[in-house]
Parts: sequence; structure tokens; C-alpha cells
Amino acid sequence: MSTKETIDDSNGFNSLLSRRDMLKYLGMATASGVLNLSLLKELQALTLATQPKEIRPNIIFILSDNCRWDHLGFKKHPFIQTPGLDRLACEGVVFENAFNTTSLCSPSRASILTGTYAHTHGVKNNHTAWTGSKTTFLEYLKQAGYDTAFIGKWHMPGKGLPEMPFLDQFVSYTYREGQGSYFDCPMLVNGKPVQAQNYITREVTDYAIAFMQRKRMNPDGSKRPFCIYLSHRSAHPPYKTPADIKGMYANAKVDLPPEVDAWFSKAEGNVFQGIMTSSYENQYRKYCEVITVMDRDIQRLLDKIEALGLRENTLVIYASDNGMLWGEHRMHGIREAYEESLRVPFIVRCPWLIRDPGGRRSQMALNIDVAPTILDLAGIPVPKDMEGISLAPSLGNADVPGRNAFLVEFWKYFPENTPTYVGVRTQTHKYVDFEKGRIPWLFDLTADPRERINLYNTPEANKLLPELKSMLKGLQEGKRY
Amino acid sequence: MERQSFSRRFIIPVFIIFIIISVAFVGYSYAWRLGSPFLHHLLASLLGPLYFLLVAFGPLFVYPVAYFRGASPKERVIASLINPFLWMTKECIRLYASFTLLECLYFYLNLLNIWLILGLGIQIGVAELLCRKRLKGLGRDIQVFDVRICALLGTCLLLFVLMYACGEGEGIWSVYLEGYRRLFHSGV
Repeated sequence: MSTKETIDDSNGFNSLLSRRDMLKYLGMATASGVLNLSLLKELQALTLATQPKEIRPNIIFILSDNCRWDHLGFKKHPFIQTPGLDRLACEGVVFENAFNTTSLCSPSRASILTGTYAHTHGVKNNHTAWTGSKTTFLEYLKQAGYDTAFIGKWHMPGKGLPEMPFLDQFVSYTYREGQGSYFDCPMLVNGKPVQAQNYITREVTDYAIAFMQRKRMNPDGSKRPFCIYLSHRSAHPPYKTPADIKGMYANAKVDLPPEVDAWFSKAEGNVFQGIMTSSYENQYRKYCEVITVMDRDIQRLLDKIEALGLRENTLVIYASDNGMLWGEHRMHGIREAYEESLRVPFIVRCPWLIRDPGGRRSQMALNIDVAPTILDLAGIPVPKDMEGISLAPSLGNADVPGRNAFLVEFWKYFPENTPTYVGVRTQTHKYVDFEKGRIPWLFDLTADPRERINLYNTPEANKLLPELKSMLKGLQEGKRY
Repeated sequence: MERQSFSRRFIIPVFIIFIIISVAFVGYSYAWRLGSPFLHHLLASLLGPLYFLLVAFGPLFVYPVAYFRGASPKERVIASLINPFLWMTKECIRLYASFTLLECLYFYLNLLNIWLILGLGIQIGVAELLCRKRLKGLGRDIQVFDVRICALLGTCLLLFVLMYACGEGEGIWSVYLEGYRRLFHSGV
């Protein structure tokens, strides 16, 4: 890991205390009689355990699509089964307050890659082309000597897939506006067309495993670490599952919000969400099924990491690009600033740093934090233009303070009927201002976690709004809270 | 047939369907606010399908009624298209909550509307054939099959199927979105 002298970021874990300094202070404490030798040995072991066995860890970032934060087995969902992600949660930590900052595929994905808000990287909606004006964390890793792979859904507008020469492997698809398909997906493997042979989550996982298994030695005999960005199509509609999973939840009791009904999938433009056929309940069941299929392949990947002996020095992060509304507030899909759409699952397994596997973290984690966290844990200075923060300190210590607020942004995306909005989400409140068509929202998330009561234009709101508006302005200007 | 008044041959058949669609739409849209899950699901189960079916298949009522009340071919076609067009307009107005007027106008060309229009063409063709068959059965000297009607039916059916065959409609959808991007860029 880099020493303190080489780090020039204010939010990296290494800026707190370097390993060298720790050992120096422990030695001084022992010499002065403050610590006895046996305690020193314990503390030294603890210090050494914060580092991976090899200098730079391998990194696997797994991204799902539209997967809700609460649709996981360990979150006590009524029926969904996700043993792979349950295992990851047991062996790592779960960030219980993780969010995306723009609830739409392309902007959120660009935020994950660049560590910046959408107004910075410029991919404002799924019609805005990716220009590559911001450097991705994959490119930084490549510069630092990593082998890098992007495997799966890219889905950012532009002419086909971008040129990314810093990738050693680029496996993706442009079919169906970059959404691909669950079966028979036409893919591009390093620019060459290839037909997928298997169900897409299996196919991309196979590519990831093959990449992991590659021999990677530097000329001096040292091993090169790798980073895999594995981006699943699940759980994007239209939902299709392999025969052995199809119908798995056919008899599950589905408890959708009371405001929806079987015909909801046809109403209010919801057909454009890819749910033209069958009832809303059946669509929901299929959504859960594709999550389970994806989880099966995640489990397979974790098994392979184990089998290859890579577990102890491989960072694994799982997240989703955004959540999903399934009828709450009589709305379907993503885009909205409601919690169901903003919240994302976020699990980190970092064996050399996490002291409490299975633990939970309450710090707010954002999609823009993925890049700084990965770079920080790889021992690479976090670029100053990244707007996210490294979550590494909170991995080792659940009590490290986190941020108090973040910016929420959205730009209208034709033809989905959500107006452009901007807002601030604090630990306790959410304020959202719309460009047109709706009055602003103000929710007290402590008293009203389901966001049923809009406090805007109430006396309570009048007390809170000045501070929230000031915070919003500050966030838009680049301040952190 | 006797040519009845404009009101009887044109306005009334359109209005009947319009009223039923409107009641079904309002009933369906607000059923969930009644506070009774039982009533909500009952009304949704009845009014939801009624609403969608009448928007999509209303011409199968309007066209024959207009036909047998003496409406001209032009009047019959226009009468059949009014309610679906009003529905499309309602959808465009719904989008105005988020988009500009021009973007809402572009929304008229969306895939669902195209399919609906093709479906209307099919229904008008079928309705015309059935009405002629009925008249012939009543002893009128009328040719049931007409080249123009068959051409309309065949063309609409072919396009309908072709559009679906193109990735279950997603191919055409991509073209539509590309058209949007060329006209409006990202829209932001």
C-alpha cells in the first residue's frame, strides 16, 4: 500500500495513518514501557492484517441492473433466494444506506466508472453520449499495472462501444440499445462479433472466470493484479429465465403495494418499461427470478475465487446501478427520487481490512464512491476531480463518520414521464425540486420512511427549507456535507 | 340503407364509446383511492380491461353502427379513428408534465401508436367486409370483397407482423429513439 507521503487526497484511508508510522509508534510505546511485548505482538499482527498478502489486491466489481436493495435473501425478502449474495454479505460488510445519485442506467454507470456526479461526467440521461471526458477507474488501474476487463452491459449512448485501449478485455453488446438480451445475445468481444452460447449471466461470468484464470506475470516475475468490472443484464426487462428457474416463484405470495393492480403494467405509459405482457404480479415474479439466476452465477464466481486461492487478496464489491419502484406511489420503474429507486444494494468483501465479516455499515455510500474506494484500496491516489469519497476507512471501522448529505439529480428521459429534478438527501430528510409539472417534495424520512406525506408548503417545511436549499446549492457547487 | 342524420350516424356511435372509455378510465385510475382493496381490485379487473379493449377495438362497434346508419366511407373511417386519436392525445398531454410541446408531438409517432393505427386499419377492413357480407345476406346486390379493402387489410396486417418480428418491436423502437435523438439530441 502507498505510504502517507505519496497520497494527496483528503478522503483516502491511507491519509489517516500509514503502516510504517503505525509500527514506529508501537515500537516507541513498547520501548517507553507503555505497552508490553505480548500486546505489541498482537497489535503488530493487527496492523499487518490490514494489508493484503500481495502489494496490490485483485478487484472484482459486480454490477447488477435495477436490483432493489431489499430484494436479497439476507434482507428477509419474503421469498427471493440469493445464497451467493447472502454469502458475500456474510463474508463482507453491507452498506445499509447506499444510493445512486441519478436514478437511470447510463448516468449512474458513468458515475460508477468516473467517481463523479452526472452533471460533471455529462452522461445526463440514456440519450446522452459517453464522451470519455472523464477518466474511468479502470484506466487508472491499468496505468498502475493492473490487467483490466470490462465484461457485460455497457449501455451508454454513442456510436457503438467506445474505444478503451486500456482494457485487456472488453466484452459487451450494442444489441437493443445496449441492453442485450438474456438468450442468444449478439456480443462484441474485443471488437469482434460473437454469439453468446449461454444465458447471458452465465456467459459473462464465464468470461470473467476465464480472465481470472489467465497467467499474469511481469517480466521480473512479479504477479500482475487484475480488475474485472462485471456488469450483469439482470434484472432489466423483458425478463427471461432459463428453464430450471422459470416459474420458481410462480406460487409465491406477492405482496405488491395496495395502490396497484394486475392492469397497472399497461397503464400510464408503463408498457414502455418493457412490461407489455402478462399481469403486474407475474412480471414481479419474473423480476425476482432473474435476480436469483444472476445470484447463481455470482455464487459460481465466488467459488472460483476460492478455488483459485485468490480470496484473501481479492476485493469484491457488489452493487446495482439503481433501484426499482414496483408500484409504490403508484409508479413503476426507475427515474424517481423515491427511496425505492434511489437506494441500491452495496456489499463489500475485503478480507484484509474488514474485522467484522457479516457486519453492517450505516455510512451513506454512493455510486460515485465506487471509483475512489477501488483506487484507494489498490493503493492508487484518488484523483482530486473525483467527487465521491473512499469508503475504505469505514470498512475497517464501522464508527468512522460518513457524509451527511448528497446531491440527487435527474434529467428528463424521453419518453418516460419524469421531469428534470434536482434535490438533496440528508440523513433525515429529502428535498426535491422539479423543473416542471410537480410541486417540490419534502419528506421527513425518519417520521415518514415511506414518503407518503409531502411536507412542502407546511410550517415545518418553512423551517427546514432554507437550510436544505442552501445545502443543495452547496452540493451543486461541489461542497461536501 | 337509409342515411340517417349526422348526429345518429356519426356523433352518437363515437360518443357512446367515448363515454364508456372515459368512465372506465376515470374509474380505473381512481379505484385505488377508494380505500377498499376489494373494491379497488374489482373495479380494476372490470374497468381496466374495458378501457384498454375499447381504445384498441372500439372501431369494431363504431364502424358497423355508422355503416348501417348510412355514413359515407369517409365518415365511417373518421368516426372509427376519433376515440383512439383522443386517447393518443391524452397520452401526449400526460407527457407534457415532463417534456416540451414538440417532444410531446413526436410522441404521437411512438411504436404503440403505430401498432394501434395498424390495428385500426385491420379492424376497419374487417368491419367493412363483415358489413358487406351482412348486407348481401339481407338480399342487397353488393360485392363483399373489394381490392382496396383487401389491400388495406393485407398491408396493415403485414406491417403489424413485421414490426413485431423486428425484435418483438424493439428494432422499430430503436429507430424511433434514434429519430428522437436526431431531432432533439438528448433532450436536455
